[in-house]
Amino acid sequence: MSPISVSIVKKKGVILCLVLFVLFFFSKSLISDELAIRANLDDLALKRTKKSHLGLPKVPFPDDNLPSVAKIQLGRKLFSDRRLSHNNTMSCAMCHVPEQGFTVNEIATAVGREGKSLRRNAPTLLNVAFMAPLFHDGRETSLETQVIGPLLAVDEMGNPSAGYLIEKIKQLDDYDDLFERAFGRGVSIETIGQALATYQRTLISTHSPFDRFYYGKEPDALTSKEKKGFHLFIGKAKCVSCHLITEEYALFTDNNFHDTGLGWYNSMVKPTADQFIRVQLAPGVFTSISREVVKSVGHPRPNDLGRYEVTLDLSDRWRYKTPTLRNIALTAPYMHDGSLSTLHEVVMFYNQGGHPHDNLDPLITPLRLSKEEIEALVDFLNILTGDNIQELVLDNRSEKIGNPGAIFHPKVTCPPIIGP
Amino acid sequence: MKQLLSKISVGSLVVVMLVAASIGIFSVTSLQADETCMSPYMAKITGQEDFVYVLTLGVEGLGDGSDKLVTIDVRPGSKTYGKVIHTLSVGGRNEMHHAGLTDDRRYLWAGGLDTSMTFIFDIHSDPAKPRLHKTIKDFVAKSGGAVGPHTFYALPGRMMISALSNDKDHGGRTALVEYTNEGEYITTHWIPTEENKLGAKIEKIADGYGYDVRVLPRKNVMLTSSFTGWSNYMMDFGQMLGDEEAMKRFGQTVTVWDLHARKAKKVLHVPGAPLEIRFAWGPTHNYAFTTTALTSKLWLIYEDDKGEWQAKEVADIGDPSTIPLPVDISIGTDDKTLWVDSFMDGKVRLFDISDPFHPKPIYEKTIGSQLNMVSQSWDGKRLYFTSSLLANWDKKGQDDQQFLKAYEWDGHELTHKFTVDFYKEKLGRSHIMRFGAYSLYGKVPPSAVSN
Ligand code: HEC
Ligand code: HEC
Repeated sequence: MSPISVSIVKKKGVILCLVLFVLFFFSKSLISDELAIRANLDDLALKRTKKSHLGLPKVPFPDDNLPSVAKIQLGRKLFSDRRLSHNNTMSCAMCHVPEQGFTVNEIATAVGREGKSLRRNAPTLLNVAFMAPLFHDGRETSLETQVIGPLLAVDEMGNPSAGYLIEKIKQLDDYDDLFERAFGRGVSIETIGQALATYQRTLISTHSPFDRFYYGKEPDALTSKEKKGFHLFIGKAKCVSCHLITEEYALFTDNNFHDTGLGWYNSMVKPTADQFIRVQLAPGVFTSISREVVKSVGHPRPNDLGRYEVTLDLSDRWRYKTPTLRNIALTAPYMHDGSLSTLHEVVMFYNQGGHPHDNLDPLITPLRLSKEEIEALVDFLNILTGDNIQELVLDNRSEKIGNPGAIFHPKVTCPPIIGP
Repeated sequence: MKQLLSKISVGSLVVVMLVAASIGIFSVTSLQADETCMSPYMAKITGQEDFVYVLTLGVEGLGDGSDKLVTIDVRPGSKTYGKVIHTLSVGGRNEMHHAGLTDDRRYLWAGGLDTSMTFIFDIHSDPAKPRLHKTIKDFVAKSGGAVGPHTFYALPGRMMISALSNDKDHGGRTALVEYTNEGEYITTHWIPTEENKLGAKIEKIADGYGYDVRVLPRKNVMLTSSFTGWSNYMMDFGQMLGDEEAMKRFGQTVTVWDLHARKAKKVLHVPGAPLEIRFAWGPTHNYAFTTTALTSKLWLIYEDDKGEWQAKEVADIGDPSTIPLPVDISIGTDDKTLWVDSFMDGKVRLFDISDPFHPKPIYEKTIGSQLNMVSQSWDGKRLYFTSSLLANWDKKGQDDQQFLKAYEWDGHELTHKFTVDFYKEKLGRSHIMRFGAYSLYGKVPPSAVSN
């Protein structure tokens, strides 16, 4: 079930996407058309990194990695290539699924190579260009270096070493001279990182009803209930104190770390609080099973200490990075461990004042919102979806998924561009 | 004594079956061939099997850590009876799961649910020493994105392969994929979804999920069941039980297909992850059984008096609230009994299914701390059990016993014959079993010469 509901994608996007869709799918036999469409998508992608976006700052990129079509193409290809994992099963896209808001809606915490369970929920990559530091604990500083983590982690893509991966890519025919074209030099951890970073910086999505209302000054872009939700967000509910909105743009994050009590509770209290867990066996059919039974078939999840794992500063225990709320309607389940399934549950969590304990952030207090106010706040969270989601999905899927033995389209040959 | 119903050209076999069925001369003994639950198109071992081949999952740090095909000698009186006589490592851990024989029974195909690697073993050249004949490495690319080849089901000259997942999101949407017996890709049939119903009538929901595939040629019917995608079947079972999102992603459907046209006709609503499908063999028995793993129910999939296929829940398996987790099932050749293994309680239960709408539990026995597959001989007298469900679902610690256990069934009691401890032998996790016999290939066992 794709979480992308057409209703949230506004007219302009729909028309563009329909055109692209029709062109893309009905021209399969006509290679030249296909190339033209892909070139068009490439062009749009490059433009996304350069133009100004309603409600967002300028897309930042490092001086030594300015965007180009060749880099975007290469990064997009690497992103969906399952051969980039040791056993050819995991690509970045398997945990950041385009149709699922560039995260995974179907599991709370990510599953990596050979089924290894990770402790955390995969964050969306929509608008990741603006996120710094990266990861729930903020351990990474740039998209260029971030990729080393998943590529080499035994429980994610599990490559035995960087050198091994580089050799493997060199031997894949379809990569041919793509690195040389994009960077003027060959495959290396640096160029892999730069290509993936460039592609990820094209995943810009804005122009949501909120943006049109707040930055576009379209008073009718929101219903009165959504407006009420917005006023709660910036007023009584205090959400905006961490999920920032400024005069010029809104990232809905302070890129800082806070303890909402959730991490502490899920690590310290929950595992021993209830002896039974409720399990859904089929829609509407539930049973309770004891933790003993769960233990007999499962490895316990190691504790997650949040920011502390990076700084080793005790006051950082169970602090997590404030995530953006853009496109939040597409990226369930929520929080660093995916433990809240719906936006309603999230708002209820804040309404109760999180999970009080020593370290709780002072901004997290019981909110005493009425039922109507809770609904209005949820409605507001639901209108933060950008208008080009379909375009981004289509853009991603214009590249064939890398599998062993895959036969690739003739390459789109753009002139070798070094730099911008 | 071994019999072989094979090497008739497949087309003529179909014709014979259709004719036989239509004029009602199909005697009960002639084609109730099931030395567990093979394709009707396949040669059967109707007497004593010589070997049990066990697909075995490699375990990190145990032996060579690789997946393998293990051959166990089950010839009564043989010096190596009840012993491992051959192992064949294939390299890597692929989440080996099910395996199936080609219609001519010369090759055994096995699939890796994780890597989608498909291994074709030659079991006819020397039935005591299978060898790796061919490895299909591009199943995903060839099929257009199906991941996790699961059931390998013999159709005339071809293998029908049901997959479990896909390369776009590792969820449960998947396809049936056809290959020739020689290992050449033919085509892919995606399973109907809400957005793409493919012309099928949808009873309640179309999830697009897959698991088993079985056919009833005389009714031109093919059935597929539905499990879950890669993210779930690869995940630690305990973690998954605690993952509310994951638990929402289990199959709820059995799809009825037009076998010859390969067109989905109807998507039945069977919530709770229906797994193995077993058609009855009787010439007028237009029904199949399946069990739902999570809800622990026995379901009947049957043709009603209007010729319409329906699904009906017909019995509980143990106490469903404790999640016994029924896994493999095996139907008796006379359609009177059905063995049902359940994973969590390690039990096998025998149901009297003479009235398919009212199955009754008549016997049960605990086989081990965990239990997955069951295979019975054609005459129902010998049963073999193995323990592994999925690498990351198997029990942890002491309860992670890995075995093949052989029993004899006298109609009242299972009597233990031998056990092979797959951990002690440094082999790994024992999964699906298939039988082998010299007689299938007109061969004489080497020992028989000296006898
Ligand atoms: C096995 C699943 C998995 C794979 C494969 C994977 N990721 Fe992730 N990704 C995650 C998880 C889980 C996190 C959060 C980890 C944490 O915070 O500790 C994450 C975090 C990220 C982040 C940080 C986002 C933010 O807002 O902080 C980026 C960027 C990212 N991944 C990109 C990639 C790229 C590029 C690849 C491929 C090279 C990749 N991921 C492969 C699961 C995965
Ligand atoms: C003290 C700072 C702070 C305040 C105030 C705050 N949040 Fe958060 N919010 C966070 C942090 C930190 C997280 C991540 C928690 C985690 O991962 O465990 C988060 C997570 C979320 C998420 C889940 C995002 C995701 O991608 O998983 C939503 C939705 C959310 N907050 C909405 C709200 C709303 C609505 C309010 C007001 C009622 C609010 N927040 C108030 C800091 C805050």
